[in-house]
Amino acid sequence: MARCLARARFIIGAWVILLALAIALPASAQRNPDGSVNPTASAVKEQQLLNALQSGGSISGRVSIPDQKSANLIHPAGRDWRQFHEVTLRWIGAIAVLGMLIILVAFYLVRGQVKLESGYSGRRIVRFNAFERFVHWMTATCFIILALSGLNITFGKPLLMPLIGEGAFAAWSQWAKYAHNYLSFPFAIGVFCILLMWIAGNIPNKVDVEWLKRGGGIVGHDHPPAYRFNAGQKMIYWIVVIGGTAVAVSGYLLMFPFYATGIEGMQLAQTVHAIIAVLFVAAMLGHIYIGTIGMEGAFEAMGEGTVDVNWAKEHHALWLEQEMARTGPNESQRQPMATPAE
Amino acid sequence: MKTFLLACVAAIVIATAAGFALNAVQKPAEQAYSTTGVRL
Repeated sequence: MARCLARARFIIGAWVILLALAIALPASAQRNPDGSVNPTASAVKEQQLLNALQSGGSISGRVSIPDQKSANLIHPAGRDWRQFHEVTLRWIGAIAVLGMLIILVAFYLVRGQVKLESGYSGRRIVRFNAFERFVHWMTATCFIILALSGLNITFGKPLLMPLIGEGAFAAWSQWAKYAHNYLSFPFAIGVFCILLMWIAGNIPNKVDVEWLKRGGGIVGHDHPPAYRFNAGQKMIYWIVVIGGTAVAVSGYLLMFPFYATGIEGMQLAQTVHAIIAVLFVAAMLGHIYIGTIGMEGAFEAMGEGTVDVNWAKEHHALWLEQEMARTGPNESQRQPMATPAE
Repeated sequence: MKTFLLACVAAIVIATAAGFALNAVQKPAEQAYSTTGVRL
């Protein structure tokens, strides 16, 4: 009797262990070695998959190729990112770029060109030397191509492709992408040179506060004094240095995928890169406007390297005083009007 | 004008050098993400 009871206890115990294993094994089969839900498991429940997708999670399968990232099946954060670059970014870009263009056209129609009120004196003074202009133009030409090829990534498909067709758009986009990648290097070098070259003249000071209070001579016909760079130019300088560094760093994270960050970091880098880039383009439109048609005599500073003494007196009186004290009052007269600075 | 042209040439030279450098360190996606069993 006792032997029968012992045997019965053994059989019952064995069945309990087998039952526990039978319950536990399918549960472990539903999970990948890294703990994520295995969607190919025979007993996976829909609720488990839905739970796994919450709060930035993902569902991964298993692949035999070297790129294990391709095992990722569903990553809801990717849909958020797609929504950003397909919809949100286009709105931000359109508002920033078109908004700035509308403001500039309206400003030009209302205010007109900022004239050289005292007229040309015929005496010139060196504003930017040859190296400064070289760095400026290298950075500027790269920026224009980077901006056009970058805007093509965001706006090319809806705006350009319907006009030129899929084949031409594909070829143009491929070459634009090459130009975007390769010209980023001279652009980044240019931004670094600009940082070093002009930082001394671009530290904000009390004169800038007064310049801003008086509208910088852009609004109205006042001529607040300024050193070599006024507050508006200082703003452009820091936009170029900080914005340029941000787009370069975020751009190189994208150019070298998965070297320094995972997919979430790359999505963040693309978001930062795109938003700063469209704002950068808008700011540079303002810079190009005031440096060309917006102000009489301004383009000569970067075009030829010299400006008329009256122009310097009206827009950078404190700088002119410094230059006169440094070189002597007659130095500017030695430069005839059409002589470049180099 | 001379400075502008020189700046354009410098940008092209640096970009071309960067292109060669990038091609030396990066592989096309079809090579980077395929096994040795794949014949391209």
